[in-house]
Amino acid sequence: MIEIKDLHKNFDDLEVLKGVDLTIRPAEVISILGGSGSGKSTMLRCINGLEEISSGSVVVDGLDVTKKDELKAVRKKCATVFQQFDLYPHLKVIENITLAPVQVLGVSKTDATNKARALLESVGLGDKADVYPAQLSGGQKQRVGICRALAVGPDYILLDEVTSSLDPEMTAEVLEILKNLANDGMTMISVTHEIEFAREISNRIVFLDQGKILCDLPTADFFSADGGMADPRIAKFLSKMGTGS
Amino acid sequence: MPDLSAMLEHLPAFWGGFLVTAEISVLSIIGSFIVGLIVALMRVSEAKAARLFALCYVDVFRNIPFLVLIFFAYYGLPEVGVYIDAFWTGCLALSIAVGAYVTETLRAGIVNIDKGIIEVAKSFGFGRIKLYTKIILPIAITSSIRPLGSVFINLILTTSILSAITLGELTSASKIIASTTFRPFEVYVFLVIFYGALTFALSALIATWHKHLNRYNEV
Amino acid sequence: MYGDDGFTIFDLQLWAEGLGISAWVFITSSILGLLFGVLIGLIRYYRISVLGKILMLISEFLKNSPVLVQLFLVYFGIPALLMIDLSPVEAAIITLSGNTAAFIAVIVISSIDAIDKKQLEAARSFAMSEWQILKLIIYPQSLAFAMPMLVGLAINQLQVTSLVSVIGVVDLTRVGDIVNLRTFEPFIVWPVIGATYFVLAKMIGIAGSKLENRFNRYKRVTNI
Repeated sequence: MIEIKDLHKNFDDLEVLKGVDLTIRPAEVISILGGSGSGKSTMLRCINGLEEISSGSVVVDGLDVTKKDELKAVRKKCATVFQQFDLYPHLKVIENITLAPVQVLGVSKTDATNKARALLESVGLGDKADVYPAQLSGGQKQRVGICRALAVGPDYILLDEVTSSLDPEMTAEVLEILKNLANDGMTMISVTHEIEFAREISNRIVFLDQGKILCDLPTADFFSADGGMADPRIAKFLSKMGTGS
Repeated sequence: MPDLSAMLEHLPAFWGGFLVTAEISVLSIIGSFIVGLIVALMRVSEAKAARLFALCYVDVFRNIPFLVLIFFAYYGLPEVGVYIDAFWTGCLALSIAVGAYVTETLRAGIVNIDKGIIEVAKSFGFGRIKLYTKIILPIAITSSIRPLGSVFINLILTTSILSAITLGELTSASKIIASTTFRPFEVYVFLVIFYGALTFALSALIATWHKHLNRYNEV
Repeated sequence: MYGDDGFTIFDLQLWAEGLGISAWVFITSSILGLLFGVLIGLIRYYRISVLGKILMLISEFLKNSPVLVQLFLVYFGIPALLMIDLSPVEAAIITLSGNTAAFIAVIVISSIDAIDKKQLEAARSFAMSEWQILKLIIYPQSLAFAMPMLVGLAINQLQVTSLVSVIGVVDLTRVGDIVNLRTFEPFIVWPVIGATYFVLAKMIGIAGSKLENRFNRYKRVTNI
């Protein structure tokens, strides 16, 4: 369980998060929606300590991210998939996936490689194990990014705008994989501004506006006329994104 | 008339000097790389004192002539009880002086790494040491092979200055040949061409190696 | 005087004279090097004759061999070949000018190459002469492009001037050598000499960045 309580985050004078409370239970798939500057990416980055929090608390399975020794354990539990893929350019696909298990978790190289091959196979990239990231398409890179996250056996997967750099066709291949993961009971927190993507994978939607949670509803309720849509700010956001229904 | 063929009989003497140049070059390349690597890590470290020290080091040694430094080391070290011969004095001075250029080259390699990649590694729980040894330094060093190569070629050319402290490297050996044969023009033309050819050959090798190590960037 | 311990007021005078010689060698060879370097670069750029290729080949060797060896070639080699006399200062200025010219020529060519070729085509289409194009279009832009490289080269060439002490020019480094051998105070002499070079290098750097700012004025984006 991830428990976020009264989370504040400032960048110098700019207050990006103004007291966020959120609890994420196992096997939930949560999408965090919001416009740019709403603080949604910052919130995600606070969960695994990529941003230092200004005040409040973030606790993952009883581990406090503000404590240095506990943060490392949190990072082993949460794996992130990034918008720009950010694969290690100097390592082959297979090495990208095995690096963290071998170096951080102390898994043997053979075990890590076997698992990585199985993961690549499962996302349809079994033949790309020995190429360098530069030779892959964006969709392929992101599928490797997902394998890299899964390889550490995480309890939580954090998705940071994972489809924003992809064209629709590639988005579909990535979405398919994530849906399967959700069905297998993986806990996922996805930050996105793509409403269709959120609607398809998540069972709960959190809408962030100017550093505060505006609403936190099951997906079906969020999109119903008397649910999230009732709030003019959300309705405006949805219509601007072109998917208001 | 200039006659370069007259140089042929002196090839063994050139060769002897060249071996010393080669030896001191290899040792100093290793030395300056180690110095440069350590100072580069200080240059990007979070400790302000380390950063300041690294900055001063680079600034000083890039703005003072090597000849001044080598005289300082040659005459100064015995004063403080360090008795090493011209060869090791040369290695030490070259390592420290060229280390400043290595520092700047590696620093550029480090700061040019995509920040996202470093964040990824952090998010996977990489500690500082693993982050540097597995991600940052491998990328920084492979992408810096070509500029580092230029720095090291310059180092090889700089070894000629060690002739000023009577070290018997290639330039010193040639000086002796020039004075015994009374053919200074031929000797020094030969030497310019020799150093030039050596530089071209090494540049070509480094370019190939750079391409090979950075093949992962090819789309 | 010889063998005396301790420094005298004459050492200060010697230092000042050495500084003057170093500055003279640096400034003269920089100006001559700039003139010849630009000339070589332009001859090569306009492909005037096979001369350009030969000059560039010589430039390559001057860039890629030790300046000290070039000094020996000019000071010992050329007089022996041509049966002439060269003073150490003359040999120093000839060598450093040639060496500087080699680097300048390469900077000139790369700076001209950095200019968008379409601009030159546009200028020709307006019937501008090659001289007008060179003066009004190539010169200002390539100078702005070349400035950082020229400043870097100047700082480097200042350090290179120290090598002329080896052929007997009484420059700053030679003064250091003389005073050091008399006083046996390497920990005072060499830091002072080193600091002098350091300050000169910084002065060149500051002057250079001022010039750079001037030449880069046209690049500033202003809000309209």
